[in-house]
Amino acid sequence: MKVRELDLRAALRTALVLLPLLGMVAGCAHGSKKKATSAVKEGELHLEVKKFTLDNGLRLLVFENPKLPIFTYYTFFDVGGRHEGEGTTGATHFLEHMMFKGAKKYGPRQFDTMIEGNGGSTNAYTNFDNTVYYESMPTESGDLDMVEKIIDMEADRMQHLALEPKAFEKERQVVLEERKMRYENSPRGQLYLKMMQEIFEGTPYGGSVIGSVEDLKSLNRDQVMNYFKNFYTPDNAIIIVAGNVDADKVHDMVKDKYGDIEPSTKEIQDYRKSRDEENLYKHRGRYGRHIKLNSVAKNPMFMIGWPSQAVGTRESYVKDILSSIIGQGESSYLNKKFVIGKRPLFTGVGAYNYTLKYNGVFWISGELLAKRNLNRAKNKLLRETKRMCNEAIDERSLQKTKNQYLLGYVSSIESNSGVAHFLGLRENIFGDYSYYKKEMDIYNSITVDEVRKSCQDLFSSDNYIMVSSWNRHPKPKKK
Amino acid sequence: MNKLNMKNMVSLFILMGLSLTSTFATDYFSGKVKKMKWEDLDVVYLEDDRYPTYQLNIYFADGALSDEGIKGVTSASFDYMGLGTRRFSREDIAENLEFFGASHGATVAHEYSTYFVSGLVKDIIPTVKKICHLFQDATFPKRELNKEKKRILDSLDNFVSNHGALARRAFREEVLAGSPYSYPVEGKKRDIRRWNKDILKAKLNHFNNSVKKRVYITGPKAVLDVESVVTKECGWKGQGTFVRNVSYKKPKAHKRPQITLVPVPQANQAQVRFGSFLNYDELDQDELMSLSSHYLGGGFTSRLMRVLRVENGLTYGVSAYAGAQKQYGRAAISTSTKVESVGMLIEKVRETLKKAIAGEVEKAHFERAKGSLAGSYPFGFESSKMYLGQLLFLDHKGEDYQKIFEFPQKVRSFNVEQMAKMIDRIFSWEEMQITIVGPRSLKKTLDKYGDVTIKNYQKFL
Repeated sequence: MKVRELDLRAALRTALVLLPLLGMVAGCAHGSKKKATSAVKEGELHLEVKKFTLDNGLRLLVFENPKLPIFTYYTFFDVGGRHEGEGTTGATHFLEHMMFKGAKKYGPRQFDTMIEGNGGSTNAYTNFDNTVYYESMPTESGDLDMVEKIIDMEADRMQHLALEPKAFEKERQVVLEERKMRYENSPRGQLYLKMMQEIFEGTPYGGSVIGSVEDLKSLNRDQVMNYFKNFYTPDNAIIIVAGNVDADKVHDMVKDKYGDIEPSTKEIQDYRKSRDEENLYKHRGRYGRHIKLNSVAKNPMFMIGWPSQAVGTRESYVKDILSSIIGQGESSYLNKKFVIGKRPLFTGVGAYNYTLKYNGVFWISGELLAKRNLNRAKNKLLRETKRMCNEAIDERSLQKTKNQYLLGYVSSIESNSGVAHFLGLRENIFGDYSYYKKEMDIYNSITVDEVRKSCQDLFSSDNYIMVSSWNRHPKPKKK
Repeated sequence: MNKLNMKNMVSLFILMGLSLTSTFATDYFSGKVKKMKWEDLDVVYLEDDRYPTYQLNIYFADGALSDEGIKGVTSASFDYMGLGTRRFSREDIAENLEFFGASHGATVAHEYSTYFVSGLVKDIIPTVKKICHLFQDATFPKRELNKEKKRILDSLDNFVSNHGALARRAFREEVLAGSPYSYPVEGKKRDIRRWNKDILKAKLNHFNNSVKKRVYITGPKAVLDVESVVTKECGWKGQGTFVRNVSYKKPKAHKRPQITLVPVPQANQAQVRFGSFLNYDELDQDELMSLSSHYLGGGFTSRLMRVLRVENGLTYGVSAYAGAQKQYGRAAISTSTKVESVGMLIEKVRETLKKAIAGEVEKAHFERAKGSLAGSYPFGFESSKMYLGQLLFLDHKGEDYQKIFEFPQKVRSFNVEQMAKMIDRIFSWEEMQITIVGPRSLKKTLDKYGDVTIKNYQKFL
């Protein structure tokens, strides 16, 4: 039950090249007569997935892995912070919390009691694009078929959420505490929130997933219920099941429990489409600014953000690689230059390309060493970004990044939960769970020249916004 | 079906779930774990050919307790091996290891240390060769070490901006006070300033030459080719024999909760930790300790989560933990709340513990905790790296691997009375250490609950 902001890019970038080197077989059957599904066949990545679409539009993906008597169940809803507006920031995340507070058949406390009491775990997260629920469970518990049970419980809460008023008020306090923990008492959290709001100013990504304090205090049950009614419909959802299950049986059970749920009306579908209009998401930020936040940080922390691209564009993959080469790991260019180099400026520095469904942001973040001047450090860093592209990016650094991504990719599918998340992200964003194959082609074909050009184009412009946090910045005036 | 009936059904299902057997685990892993020798070096191999990846853990039977005088040296000697060798610069080393995408690093505890390397099987030989080179040839060049020391010291200056991390650090020191385990393994500012290349090198030599080691490795069979690299290039052939053993006087028990308030500026939320130190003679029955802490703070359905979050909206999260190292243990409850409700949160925790100790435990809640802990057992095997870690820890404590497989049955065998006694032992209110990171103004509220001491956060850095 949390705000999670960086899932998509991190997960997608791991699908990479060099898979012919793998020669791996995932999910060998041990202690089971059932043959496991191979992740790699003849050197090519291939996740053996069965896809079903119900008449009401609900999509179901199943990955069979009989290694252990466990499974994972994911539900993706295509709704998040970008669907909110003035006065309702934080509503989709609040709704995510309320989904654990009881529905019609399984009342308050029954959902998580059933899951945890049988050895499972459950949680959820919300970001700007998605709301995602997940459960990991033993397949059987005594005589109980836990797959069937989870399907029944999930179908119940998708249709009949209670949003009980007393629980609603208690949960409001919980979300406010979460906000304090993640943002109000964390200079890093404050930096992130401010950067996102400024770089995406005037777009649906310019709010905040956690919500403003004012909105969280005034959100009412009807507003949250509207999000539930408009977005928690089978045609706006994807279910992914991975583990020791039989795909056809899962399909039958899902059809039985979800098959009669009505899809959204045309009016609601049109409303949802109106929120997908790409023009809404075009960058409108006011660049060249330095926003100063007062905090308890003794040494300044900063983020400098540049407009980037949506996930799935070729340029977004190029920028992923660029961010890794210049700002991820001890041997990355900026770390060598400014952290472990001859005249260090920062205690740490990093670069990140955060790609969302309809737009993105590229940022460099860091923390100054004591007694370093913030403005001078900023100027030095910006000068370096303008001159570094040819020096930082070469065949070796590109290959190194691809090697690192490969390992990250293998790690991400070593669990049922990893596989389910991997498939769900692609199905949700691209409408195609196997889109990773196309991604691999793209990553494979990216060249040094392309990354250098992307680097030059990005940093030659002055289209950046800087946010810094320091205890010597002026305190905001009291209202 | 009405709600009441449904509730009963849920409890029934949980009870039915308790019969999950653990035979799959013994079946699944039979023949997968092999003990072997590389020359005289003990090796535990967990075969896993599902992925082209490996993990190699080197266990050292000594830890931060070997740091006499200047602390943090063990941790630093492992962490900063990569600052340079006679042949390679820091940049060369980082470039070389990261090129393979390999991960590596040390975990130093007071009693023991581990160093892990993981990556793609095809790269295991060059990667481990490089790691061996660091162990054998690290020179900790003065210039690089000074840069690193400044970086750590300046980072610690900003520690005040991370209240959760500060609370963890302060609480650990306070709850273990009076024992040899209280001082942070990574040292404090005053130690860091005194590190130099000679003491780091000497420490690394101690681990290379004198300390007993074991290798834990998982991956396809091809990973065993690394044997000659480990024995020849690392030079680890089983010659080290030193094993850290500690004897200490039990810290004095107190009769009222001891509260440490660590003031931080501009906080509108307080981080709150409760817990106690567990002596060497209180470490039996760790399955029961796990159940007790799980009942209190394991998952969304634990008692404290229900009371603090669901019923009172006091916190975003709460967790409880009780566990034993080889010669000491620690019990802890970790949570946070808005400044105005710290008093109420303490009251609610006290009330919950009091009820549990009195045996006022609803059967359904107790069965849920048992079902949750025992039923989650198969997930411990999903990752070979995690399973390997469990084997390493059991060897460190001198316990049989069978303990892993017996865990679910043991958990299911406990009754409420046993759990109540255990909670009384590990979370006794009178002996509680409470650490709070928050505004100084909390002092007045806290005076009601125990002996309050205010400590500057700098003391913990």
